[in-house]
Amino acid sequence: MHLNIVKNRNKYFIFSGILILISIVSLAIWGLKPSIDFSGGALLEVEVKAEQKLAAPELSDKITNAWKDLGEVKVQPLGESSFIIRTKHLSEDEHQNLLAQVASAHGLTKAELEEKRFETIGPVIGQELKTKAIWAIVIASLAIIFYIAYSFRKISKPVASWKYGLGAVLALIHDILIVTGCFSIFGYFLGFEVDLLFISALLTILGFSVHDTIVVYDRTRENLIYNPQKTFEETVDKAINDTMRRSINTSLTVFIVLLSLFLIGGESTKNFVLALMIGVVIGTYSSIFVASTLLVVWYKLGLKIKK
Amino acid sequence: MNFSQAVKNKYQLIVILILAVFCALIAYPKDLPVGTPLEKFWNQTKYKLGLDLQGGTHLIYQADTSKIDAQDRSSAVEGVRDVIERRVNAFGVSEPVVQTNMVGGEYRVIVELAGIKDVKQAIDMIGETPLLEFKEQDANYSATLTAEEQKEIDDYNKTAKEKAQDVLRQVLAAPAKFNQLATKYSEDAGSQNQGGELGWAKQGQFVKEFEEEIFNVLKSGQTSSRLVQTNYGYHIIKKIEERGEGEAREVSSAHILIKTKSAEEVIKSKDAWKNTELSGRHLSRASLQFDQQTGEPQVSLEFNEDGKKLFAEITERNVGKPVAIFLDGTPISVPTVNEPIREGKAVITGRFDIKEAKQLVENLSAGALPVPITLLSQQTVGASLGKESLQKSLWAGVIGIIAVAIFMLLFYRLPGLMAVLALVVYILLNLAIFQIFNITLSLASIAGFILSIGMAVDANVLIFERTKEEIKAGRELNNAVIEGFKRAWTSIRDSNISSLITCLILYWIGSSVVKGFALTLFIGVVTSMFSAITVTRTLMKFIMGNWLKEKTWLFGVKKIIKN
Repeated sequence: MHLNIVKNRNKYFIFSGILILISIVSLAIWGLKPSIDFSGGALLEVEVKAEQKLAAPELSDKITNAWKDLGEVKVQPLGESSFIIRTKHLSEDEHQNLLAQVASAHGLTKAELEEKRFETIGPVIGQELKTKAIWAIVIASLAIIFYIAYSFRKISKPVASWKYGLGAVLALIHDILIVTGCFSIFGYFLGFEVDLLFISALLTILGFSVHDTIVVYDRTRENLIYNPQKTFEETVDKAINDTMRRSINTSLTVFIVLLSLFLIGGESTKNFVLALMIGVVIGTYSSIFVASTLLVVWYKLGLKIKK
Repeated sequence: MNFSQAVKNKYQLIVILILAVFCALIAYPKDLPVGTPLEKFWNQTKYKLGLDLQGGTHLIYQADTSKIDAQDRSSAVEGVRDVIERRVNAFGVSEPVVQTNMVGGEYRVIVELAGIKDVKQAIDMIGETPLLEFKEQDANYSATLTAEEQKEIDDYNKTAKEKAQDVLRQVLAAPAKFNQLATKYSEDAGSQNQGGELGWAKQGQFVKEFEEEIFNVLKSGQTSSRLVQTNYGYHIIKKIEERGEGEAREVSSAHILIKTKSAEEVIKSKDAWKNTELSGRHLSRASLQFDQQTGEPQVSLEFNEDGKKLFAEITERNVGKPVAIFLDGTPISVPTVNEPIREGKAVITGRFDIKEAKQLVENLSAGALPVPITLLSQQTVGASLGKESLQKSLWAGVIGIIAVAIFMLLFYRLPGLMAVLALVVYILLNLAIFQIFNITLSLASIAGFILSIGMAVDANVLIFERTKEEIKAGRELNNAVIEGFKRAWTSIRDSNISSLITCLILYWIGSSVVKGFALTLFIGVVTSMFSAITVTRTLMKFIMGNWLKEKTWLFGVKKIIKN
């Protein structure tokens, strides 16, 4: 089986272009929904062992009526008997008060509730984590770019080594943009939040994306040496086809474990795993269809300029 | 492959096998059965679960040091840390973590309490202002019992004996109700709620009188018809059953304890110290100094105006006698007064090293200049949610591993099988590393580990794809395998390096959750290079031979295309 990927490159560019456009538009209009990691605030997960659990809006009304200066309260039902309640940042006394409110709304005492999880993050910490996340992304991107430049320093014909680097970086930006775009859309429609773990997922995707791209470029480098008589397009096309199976298979093994984590694993890592899954798929796609075909584009541009 | 290489490979295989068994014994999550050689060694390390898996709370405090001189700040914050640590220890939490760190010029104190039930109480306790007191010896104190105290003890013990006899009568009247009676009457907090049951014990674990009764007097199922008296009090003893012979003989028993008081206990509980009016608010400064002649470290104290007067009175009263300094009810220093000190400045000398002196300064400062702390963030996970998350993650891991194994076997056949065996070594190795280096396992770090399992076989995929290609190109099977390993190496190295870079950055910059993920992924990527390459190659070499020559289907290659 041989796919004429280089020849059909414009189709893939259009496909990727559409995905990127959607992502950018969604990010511009809806943005990302920050979790309390970044915005500060409190989150309470509590199980109510009452005969009749209140409906979420009802509970929310009861709490706000009894406690006027609490501010905005978002109540979300979880499973049969639990709620997730989001409020502003709470002190320990306020936290206890909130529990008491949830209990009394159901005609129970505090001891009859089971508090499963409580997080409260002050605005200071939120700001700090935001700064940290931005730094992490900047530093990781720079490190990866340097690494790519270093890996490809030896190949320079017929395309300069920095152009390989540029191709890998563009593929990388492509991947990150699309994953972030997906989460912007999920955030708007499904309420998915972006937390520190999401940032880690993005950085891990950086690693993956480069990983697959390197495998294809590596083969291009080898084929250039062993088959000098072929044209550059043919060489790149052959490299893509030679490595397609391993690109897909290495991603599949990772995808399999992620899927298992997504379906069975703990609740709090679900979004994180989903981001990784999307990243792996997009990363594999871009290393096959985008990164290498870009090399041919550079090459053709170079020829035109020379003429 | 020539003969000596084959021998070398065999040794390599044996080393890998030993390593695998070694790791498996360490990684086994429960205690190994009694009688395993080196039992203690294998069982001494345990998995350390993060707060999100065992339940617990993570608190971040901001320390307000604005009222403290710049040079004393770090010492003051360390003092706060010590105070919190002592309080938290008293709370009975296993392995509490209390750390300080500095973020953008602000001091932070981080407290982690695992498995805690009453978070509010802990937060209240941590937030309390430390209490520093100066105490002098109580003149009325004596280390022997007064007649009055002796009578009190006798009365108490008499009542205890009567109560014990009464309970014994009830037990003998209804032996089947032993457990209920134990729950009702026993004063042994450890066994009361287990119906008095103490579990299996060998000889030497209990006090002599108790042991005599259960090992030599009673028969299995029998309840002693008399009270047995020990240092703790009166026991009503039931022997449940026994097993084993000689050294390994064990008895399972239950008891009801009615406590008595002893003279030593009462003396110990008497307070030898009496409060003075002098307290932390009179101390304006504590600092570390060095004796000008001997160069030995010493701690200097400076009192404010009120403190100066009080301290002068106390030292005048107590020349030649000790004055104790208590922090939160615990003595931190008991210096002896050499002469009356009227200037409000004192020096504590003694045989302490710099570290001890420093700690004393920190403790004194904590009491003198309390640093107000405010809770910035709290993350609490209930034990039930933690347990649920742990179970889910473990299942996800197991299913993920099985799925990856099936995938490898379907696609790569014989080499795939070797890769799966290598993956087993990989998993054992990682689990052992988690135990040996005491790595905290959170949900995120388990996710990192499971992800690394998927990545660990990536190297094998690269190698085997390369091998297939070499076979298709007409290379002889054995050579194709060797060539596959050789040629795939650069891709493997390059792709792993990019993952390692991101892990390092995540670890460096991330919060504790992110750090956990980065750390296990990093360990996974590093060890996978060993397992996927060295272990798989050794296994492959071991099974390679002439018998394989024509069986390319075992490698997932249909036919050889000769050029």
